[in-house]
Amino acid sequence: MTVTDIDLSVEFAGLRLQTPIVLLSGCVGFGDEYTRVDGYSHEHVGAVILKGTTLEPRLGNPPHRIYETPAGMLNAIGLQNPGARHVVEHILPRLPHDKTHFWANANGTSPEEYAEVARIFDDSPVTAIEINISCPNVKAGGIHFGNDPEMAARVVEAMRPMTSKPLITKLSPNNADIAETARLVIEAGSDGLSVINTLVGMAVDVDKRIPVIANVSGGLSGPAIKPVALWKLHQCRAIAARHGIPILGQGGICSPRDAIEFAITGADAIGLGTGLFLDPLLCPKVLDGLRTYLERHGLGSYAELVGSLAS
Amino acid sequence: MFECEARIVAHAHHAGDQHILRLEAPSIAEHALPGQFVHVRVSDCHLLRRPVSIMLADAEKGTVDLLYKVVGEGTRVLAACQVGQQLSVLGPIGRPFDLGDAGSRYVLIGGGVGIPPMIFAAVRLVGFADCVLFAGSEVAFPFALRPSTMLLPGVQGNAILSIASLEDRGIPCRLASNAGLYGCFEGHVPELARQYLMALDEAERSRCVLLACGPHPMLHAVARLGRELDLPAFLSLEEFMACGVGGCAGCVVKTLEEGREHYRRVCVDGPVFPANMLPEFA
Ligand SMILES: Cc1cc2nc3c(=O)[nH]c(=O)nc-3n(C[C@H](O)[C@H](O)[C@H](O)COP(=O)(O)O)c2cc1C
Ligand code: FES
Repeated sequence: MTVTDIDLSVEFAGLRLQTPIVLLSGCVGFGDEYTRVDGYSHEHVGAVILKGTTLEPRLGNPPHRIYETPAGMLNAIGLQNPGARHVVEHILPRLPHDKTHFWANANGTSPEEYAEVARIFDDSPVTAIEINISCPNVKAGGIHFGNDPEMAARVVEAMRPMTSKPLITKLSPNNADIAETARLVIEAGSDGLSVINTLVGMAVDVDKRIPVIANVSGGLSGPAIKPVALWKLHQCRAIAARHGIPILGQGGICSPRDAIEFAITGADAIGLGTGLFLDPLLCPKVLDGLRTYLERHGLGSYAELVGSLAS
Repeated sequence: MFECEARIVAHAHHAGDQHILRLEAPSIAEHALPGQFVHVRVSDCHLLRRPVSIMLADAEKGTVDLLYKVVGEGTRVLAACQVGQQLSVLGPIGRPFDLGDAGSRYVLIGGGVGIPPMIFAAVRLVGFADCVLFAGSEVAFPFALRPSTMLLPGVQGNAILSIASLEDRGIPCRLASNAGLYGCFEGHVPELARQYLMALDEAERSRCVLLACGPHPMLHAVARLGRELDLPAFLSLEEFMACGVGGCAGCVVKTLEEGREHYRRVCVDGPVFPANMLPEFA
C-alpha cells in the first residue's frame, strides 16, 4: 500500500464525499470566499456548508462581532444573511457544484420557519441541509431549540416532509444531555449529526468596562473547545452508530493530528472552521497528514479509522 | 491573495513602541496596492492573524514594508521577532484606494499607524497625479525627517519638516503633532490639511480628493472636512479580523446604501470606504 492508494473518500448520509473534510458554516461565507486564496481548491473538500440562512434577510449584530481568546475566539455574527430565496436565486447558481458538495445551514425562530427554509432549499442544487438548532447568537430560536431536546425534535419533524435531501442536525454542547437530543433528532428523521457547535462565552474590555462583543455573549470556537468537542462526539457516537447515522465531528480542528483524533472517536467527516482562519491552506495539509498516518497504520481508507477507539 | 512563509529581512525599532518590518514576500510585493493589508500570523500561540497595512511594496526586490505599533500581546510577540525568522503572511488583502484619476489632487491624511498606506499611495502617485501628504503623530515619527524645500500654501511657518524619503521623491509632505514635536504643526493633522485646502483657489480645491487612515477622531474630522468643502473623502477602516478573506463576516462596519443599512466586511469590501457611505462618520 502506498500513500497514493489510500482512499480518503467517504460516504455521508447517502452522499459520496471526495474527502472527509467539510468546511463549516459561518467560516466560509457563501461558499466561494476562500477561492480568493492562491492554492485553495474545492477539490480538497468533501463539502462546503454555507453561512446560516433564515427565511427573511438578517442584518446581523453590530460590531465588535469577534474577539480572540486564549486558544480560541468568540463570535457573535448574528446570522447575517440575505434570506433563503436570495441564496437560492442569486448565490447558488454561481457556485461550482461539479467541484464539491454545497450544503445549506438552516435557521429559524419557529419550527414553521425552519420548514419553510427547508422547502426553499429543497428546490436548489444544495445536496444536504444542516439544521442549526444551536446558534448562540440570536435572540429567538437557535440555541433555545438546541437546549430543549423535545423542541429540537419538533424542528426536525417540521422540516422532514419538506425535503428529500439529507438533514444533518447540528447539536449544541451547551446541552445537558447531548446523547438524548441526538436520539430524539435521529428518531425525528435526521440523516446525520453535526457535533458540536460553539460554546457560549464572553470577554470584558477592562478599559471601557463593557463586554467586548456587542452582543455581550458569543460562541467560543477553536482549539480551546477541542476536548469538549471530542467528549460530546464520544457521547453521541453509540446512539448514532446504532442507527447507522454519520457524524460530522468539529470543534477546534487545526492540524492532521486533531483530525485523526476526531476520526478515531467516531467522526465520519471532519469539519474545519476556525482552523482555516489560522491557515487558509489547511485542507491539503490535513489530507496529507491523514494519508501518511493511515499508511503508517496499515489502513487503506479513512473509513477504516472512523470509530476505531479502543474501549 | 497569497499565503507565504515570509522571511524577516529587516526589523527596525522606534520610539513609542513603533516598529518597521521588512518581509521577503515576492508574490505579495508584486500585487500589493495602496490601502491593502497583510494578515500576519505572529506566533503559534496566538490563534488569529493580525492585519497590518502595507507601507511600501518593492516588486523588484520582492519585499513589503509594514509599520506597526505594539497595542496588545500579538504585536508584542511580533516586535520580538528577529531578522531571519519566518512569518506566515496572507495578502495582499482588501479593496485599495482608487488612485485612478490623473486630474485629481490627492490629499493624503494619515495619523499614527494610519500613515503607512498614505506613504504607499503617495509613492504610487508620483508621475501620475498631484498629491500632498499630511501625517500626524503624538510620538516621534519613525522616519528620517528633514526640512522641506517644497512650498505648500496655507502651511504655517513652524511646520517645516517632511519625511525624507518623500522629499527625495518630490512628494510634498508636512507633519502635525499635539505633543510639541519640533518642526511640526501644533494641532491635529486634519486641521493642517484644512489650512492647506483653504489656501488653494476655488478651481484647485475642487479637484482635491481626501484619503485618510488613522484613529477614529481623525477620520471623523476628515469626513467633516470633506462635507464642509464638498470634497470626496475616502476612509480606511480597522476592525477586529478573523479570516481576512471574507468568510466569517466578523469584521463589519455599518453602511448606508440607497437608503438601506448593511454590514460590510472591512477585510474584503473595504478597508477603504467612501465617507458618505458610513453612517458612523455622518
Ligand atoms: C465566525 C463564525 C461564524 C459561525 N457561524 C455559524 C453559522 O452561521 N451556523 C452554524 O451552524 N455554525 C456557525 N458557526 C460554528 C461553526 O460552524 C463550528 O461549528 C464551530 O466554530 C466549531 O468549529 P471550529 O472550532 O472548527 O470553528 C460559526 C463559527 C464561527 C467561528
Ligand atoms: S475577517 Fe472574516 S470576513 Fe473579514
